[in-house]
Amino acid sequence: MQMVAETQERSKAGPVFGNGERANRLKATRFGGKLVNDYWESLFAAKEQGKKVVWYNGTYIPPFFHAHDVAWVHGEAWSAMLSAKHREVTAQARGDQKGYDRELCSYARTHIGQLLIELDKVKSGTSDMAPDDPRIETLLKLPPPDMIINAYPYCSSGQQWDDITYRLFGKKVPMMTISIPLLWGGRPDAGYLRGEEWHERSRYVADQLVAMTKFMEEHTGRKFDFDRLSEVMGYIKKAAQLRLEAMDLCTAQPSPASFFDWIVSIAPVNFLPGDQNIVTYFEGVLAECKERIARGEGAVKDEKYRLFFDGMMNWNKVGWLADKFAAVNACVVAGRYTHMSFWQEPELIDLENPVLGMAQNYLICPNNHGAPIMIGEIERICDKFKIDGMVMHAARTCRGMTNSQFLIADSAKRHGRQALFFEGDVADESFYKDELLNVRLEAMVEALDAKARAA
Amino acid sequence: MDEILATMAAVAADPLGYARQWKQETQGRVIGLFPMHFPGELAHAAGALPVILQEDDEPVTVGQAQVFNFYCGYNRSIIDQALRGEFEVLDAILFGDHCVQLLGTADVIRASLPKLPILFNQLCSILDAEWAKAETTRTFSQLWKELEALIGQPITPTQVQASIRLFNRNRALIRQLYDLRRAGQIALTGRQMQDVVKSSMVMDRAQHTALLEKLVPGLERRGPPADAVRVFLSGHLCHAPKLPVLDLVEECGGVVVDDDLYHGFRFVFWDVAETGDPVEALADWYQLRSTKVPCPTRAVKSLDWEDYLLRNVRASGAQGLIVLMAKFCEPHMYFYPEIKDAFDRNGIPHLLVETEHEEMPMEALKTRVETFIEIARRRMAA
Ligand code: SF4
Ligand code: SF4
Repeated sequence: MQMVAETQERSKAGPVFGNGERANRLKATRFGGKLVNDYWESLFAAKEQGKKVVWYNGTYIPPFFHAHDVAWVHGEAWSAMLSAKHREVTAQARGDQKGYDRELCSYARTHIGQLLIELDKVKSGTSDMAPDDPRIETLLKLPPPDMIINAYPYCSSGQQWDDITYRLFGKKVPMMTISIPLLWGGRPDAGYLRGEEWHERSRYVADQLVAMTKFMEEHTGRKFDFDRLSEVMGYIKKAAQLRLEAMDLCTAQPSPASFFDWIVSIAPVNFLPGDQNIVTYFEGVLAECKERIARGEGAVKDEKYRLFFDGMMNWNKVGWLADKFAAVNACVVAGRYTHMSFWQEPELIDLENPVLGMAQNYLICPNNHGAPIMIGEIERICDKFKIDGMVMHAARTCRGMTNSQFLIADSAKRHGRQALFFEGDVADESFYKDELLNVRLEAMVEALDAKARAA
Repeated sequence: MDEILATMAAVAADPLGYARQWKQETQGRVIGLFPMHFPGELAHAAGALPVILQEDDEPVTVGQAQVFNFYCGYNRSIIDQALRGEFEVLDAILFGDHCVQLLGTADVIRASLPKLPILFNQLCSILDAEWAKAETTRTFSQLWKELEALIGQPITPTQVQASIRLFNRNRALIRQLYDLRRAGQIALTGRQMQDVVKSSMVMDRAQHTALLEKLVPGLERRGPPADAVRVFLSGHLCHAPKLPVLDLVEECGGVVVDDDLYHGFRFVFWDVAETGDPVEALADWYQLRSTKVPCPTRAVKSLDWEDYLLRNVRASGAQGLIVLMAKFCEPHMYFYPEIKDAFDRNGIPHLLVETEHEEMPMEALKTRVETFIEIARRRMAA
């Protein structure tokens, strides 16, 4: 799970596809870019301020760090940021040199590769290279960790990634791993947010989160303040509610925002500090959605088709893809990654005692349900947003999100929706096949037209 | 002895064929198990034949509709077998591993074989966590309950202990073969050792144990050719390396002296306590496994696979290490660079062989193995 704030590749000229229209992105999300920059900059200053730094991967546990006043580095956000800024190639090359196969999760390869580069620099005593973008160079200089915490739902690769990080730091940094097991949903009473397994697993994760606070206490010598956690969660709950309210407005036709707006809105609900800023961010997004609806303005000009994006984001291609769909008048209205994650059940959080509800939100990460319940949720979202077709991103190195994609596509077809697959990856651009996507997208659009004519 | 080895080879070549025949003869239940950590003892105590599900040699055809080609051969083959109807012989599947690819496969099986009970109990993968023991005990207790529900009658602790004793005996006998091979007293090839272990994953344990009771003392005491280069085989998680790949070692002038393959020593190295609460015993068995032979799917902070390999390559007198890595196997891809670096640092010859479910370029591979054997031989002479 991760994010980026803003991407730059959309400005790159590509061959004209479709009608050449571009996505009408929400203006309000620009504030997120500032928040993300502020976050990285404060992180860079963390050591000077005497703060302990925790590196973590996985689900959105930063409220615990925030409440305990330690700085946090989200490994995936770092990889996603490097990819969105086209800085991933050198990092991946360094990983390759060390022997990490290119079929391995490219998030992990990017993160580990960049870490190796930083460690090389430390070893050789050389300082930094000539920066073409000083801000990016600053971002690359991450403070090394005082603690490593891994809390990766579902995906073993996400967990093993930090087994490697731990070793690359010579096993000198204390590490804790939290297990967020799959909700298989095989017992007779199983269902979305219900059943014996759900309650049992919720408690299991909540207990581990409490153990994590002890781990932090041990390594900072300070007591964990649960009141502070409630306070931080107050902002997050509010932001999450606003986000869902704004997402719900996208049932309107044309939809005022698209999946790509929600993609760039992940950072505030994923790893940015839980404070007034993230509430302000989503107030802005909600207000803009309302204004657009009042004006009849869509995220895509002349919206004709409404699509659902399944799979991990292709972080090198956020803007590129946004424009591609806009160019055939298709609005990608919702997605598994954006709409089934990141505090999507804020009402589960009791601000008096938030840990259990937090654990439950972590457990319902979009991969972490067995297929029947997950697909049931996908269909519910597709019905709600009146989705015509599914875009399945087969992200080559992310088995966490390619698992069950055939089952999802089969179900979509049973529900009268088109489904196309395209090949790409989370952070390794070399797997992305633009031509294939163009051809398949055109074919899907034609099929949707034919269906509309026949109706 | 050849006859015993031939029987084991036949079962290893057609595990589901064996299961079908067993079922016909006994009218018993066959329970499929997924690798690599689920104990078969409980299913055995339930009166069933526990069979670890194996990759087969068929090309993936119908399976392509449900699994991407960037998944390991094991997952692709299992899905293909499920869609081809090969698992009709099974009365249930026990599932509980952590590898993300296997989790996807579990769901495809659930969707394609809706009537087949899947007893899904995911094992805690953080073996050194404070809560690992309690969680593992809970998992095995739950599994015990689900097995009782499946067979419609209670499973007593005495039954489980009897199964544990039988399985321990089976493993101990195979370990004796490993000891004899390391000591150069017997000359089982890589292929033969794999047949022994793989058939033990499938056959009725009592029957297999009876065969081993004869094989261990009966095998001719003769070492491998004196000039053969001693090789240690490592890796290949979940599924068996293809036999022609193993044969290359001997064909190129080597001899396998030891391994940590799942279809090898990794499967037999560790026993379950025969006394005390069997659930506790199984939980301890599971939790302590990685302290013996580290598993990349269950990394423990204090242990490193490469340290284990360095130690055991030396202890076995091997002159080189061949790492067999199933293409797209993520846990292995993560930890391979650690092994490579350690062996480079220690100047021990090593070779990475990536295996695929589909046909492999055997001629090119043979050249690489020959070169490796030659390097190891020269290194020894130097
Ligand atoms: S494979 Fe996918 S889900 Fe797993 S760690 Fe990598 S990006 Fe995350
Ligand atoms: S651990 Fe490796 S071999 Fe086993 S299922 Fe996972 S990817 Fe395949």
